[in-house]
Amino acid sequence: MIALGPADPCMHELLALLADPRHVHNMGLPEWDKTIRLARQARLLGVLAQRIQSRNELLAAVPECVLGHLRSATAFAAYRGHLLRLELAALAEALPPELPVAVLKGAAYMLQKLDLARGRLPNDVDLMVAHSDLDGAETALRSAGWEFEEIDAYTERYYRQWSHELPPLRFPGHPLEVDLHHTITPVTGRLRPDTALLLADLQTLPGERFLVLHPLDQILHAAVHLFQDSDLRAHLRDLVDIDGLIRAHVHSHQDWQTLTARAVRHQLERPLWYALRYCRAWLATAVPEDLPLAAPPTAVIRLFDWVFPRCTLPRVPDQPVGISRRAAERLGTLRHQWLRLPPGLLLRQLAHKGMRRLRARPLVTDQSK
Amino acid sequence: MTSQQVQHSLPSQQSAQSEHSQPPRIRDLPLALLARRFSTGSVALDYGAAMVRVRSHLGAFVRDFQQVYGAFTLADDAPFADFHTEVCGGQGLRAFLRPQSRFLIDGIQPFDPFPKAQALPHFEWGVNWCFAQRFNQHVLLHAGALALADRAVIMAAPPGAGKSTLTAAMMLRGFRMLSDEFGVLCPRTGRLWPMLKPVALKNRAVDVIRDFADEAILGPLYKGTRKGDVAHLAPLAASVDARQRPARPCLLLFPSFRDGAALSIRRLPGEEAFARVAFNSFNYALVGQIAFDAVANVAEACPAFALEYSRLDEAIESLRTMLLESPAVATTA
Repeated sequence: MIALGPADPCMHELLALLADPRHVHNMGLPEWDKTIRLARQARLLGVLAQRIQSRNELLAAVPECVLGHLRSATAFAAYRGHLLRLELAALAEALPPELPVAVLKGAAYMLQKLDLARGRLPNDVDLMVAHSDLDGAETALRSAGWEFEEIDAYTERYYRQWSHELPPLRFPGHPLEVDLHHTITPVTGRLRPDTALLLADLQTLPGERFLVLHPLDQILHAAVHLFQDSDLRAHLRDLVDIDGLIRAHVHSHQDWQTLTARAVRHQLERPLWYALRYCRAWLATAVPEDLPLAAPPTAVIRLFDWVFPRCTLPRVPDQPVGISRRAAERLGTLRHQWLRLPPGLLLRQLAHKGMRRLRARPLVTDQSK
Repeated sequence: MTSQQVQHSLPSQQSAQSEHSQPPRIRDLPLALLARRFSTGSVALDYGAAMVRVRSHLGAFVRDFQQVYGAFTLADDAPFADFHTEVCGGQGLRAFLRPQSRFLIDGIQPFDPFPKAQALPHFEWGVNWCFAQRFNQHVLLHAGALALADRAVIMAAPPGAGKSTLTAAMMLRGFRMLSDEFGVLCPRTGRLWPMLKPVALKNRAVDVIRDFADEAILGPLYKGTRKGDVAHLAPLAASVDARQRPARPCLLLFPSFRDGAALSIRRLPGEEAFARVAFNSFNYALVGQIAFDAVANVAEACPAFALEYSRLDEAIESLRTMLLESPAVATTA
């Protein structure tokens, strides 16, 4: 197993539970005390709750006070799922029926009724259309009442020129935001998946207005989102998604060959390689040893093994953040910006953010945001 | 013993505590010792429905806390807590300049800091927030709840109708208080759990309760908080000692105070009672079907009344009779 760095020992309990819920038999109240906190912080409490609650023989091993939190998380996840369905129904109403629109991530997992959607807390609604349909989709949503949140001209330009999505849209009063994408990675990024292939292989679902990505593209999308288009912070949930997608979609030797071949076609071998490495090590995903995927240089792997756990695993916040975790998080952020923007744009973005920070520094910070 | 009764401590520990060494009440602990426990070990507090860990270095907070949690005991060795909270001072300059108190749950600060002198009301609202946000295994009615033995009355009313005042007065006249704000209805058993906290009395209610009974122990008066002048009534030992005993809903009451009004009691139809209780709940929509069933069971089993009053003692005595004579039958899910 890859060292978890200075993580709380209960991190092992959480990972063990995610790998196999039968681990409840090895848990006592002190372990639960921290594991519940870690799982909630990682937005995985609902997922954990569903996996335990769906098996009666496990329920008996869970203390009553812990069960309360599991039931609460299940109720909350069900409610968020309900809100997501309502938003999708409203969007289906607003979008012209002939316009092909795909849903990504949480909404896609839910519409496909995948196991991994059970108890999962959806964030926002992610939609994707072909770039040529972007204006049409935007116009349809805006004339139906969805509005952009107020952003300054620079941020607006950032989204429209350098990103892979429009600024977030929200229907006034609706709890969920809508992100309208035209591909799955920023257009300025180092890695450029084959958008034409993504669009060509969109799948229909029986009785649904929305399309979803090809199952293997769903895996690659989750991997590129985590290892390419994020600062690696607090992303254990994305790894759990990838594990769930593999368990749902990849079974045979042939499936694995097709997955790696598709990663090569999308130029996404590296994110997939990292995703499989940590899925196997932390979540006991059944990944074959001999996949034809090029590994990064050993020194890079070693550095990544140091940075990734410190950035992405939740922590019990009773102690201040340690220096190694802070350093790792800084590296994670730098890496993200480096991968996302070419050097000229990166310099410009950093200068802009630096200026903005100098201009306004609020006295009171709201850490819940 | 039901599974609920062992929620936070194993049966052996529970009986050991009651038979041999009941831990000292918080009011009997030296302030310095209490402060040390708050700053080092982080205190665990059993509210009945929830166990809350609290850490704090703020001396003024600990002093106020001791006054309004005097009858509680410390559960420091509790192996499991539902919430892990901290009350701490402002950061940077704000430690010195108009000092603040901040409330943290799991390192997150859910709302803006308060002035440091109001650390205790801040903590009280913080715990309410945690509970309302994260305890969706129960239906959280926005209601006062009190019991005689294990027969409970649920009192729902819009803010300003005198719900807290009536709850406080009933406790001072011998009712067991479960909560002044949260009717914690367990949908699996149909029982009400205590969520026993100091009663936040606002403005005029402070003097009303101070003059109402000699046993009333009130904490400091916090002037000019976001909800006006606030003082907290400490729960009495009898309520505190029974906080691990859920009660059965037997009566639904919708009280309203009106100056000079003669006591009037009006029976309400079940469906009206249902709507008033359900739509006054913190998490009715979130809990969904389960909440509908739980509230419908209560509305079906319990007679419901609107009560208008101006004299507290008169209202309390009629309530006592109504609760004891209520024909409500057990509502077990």
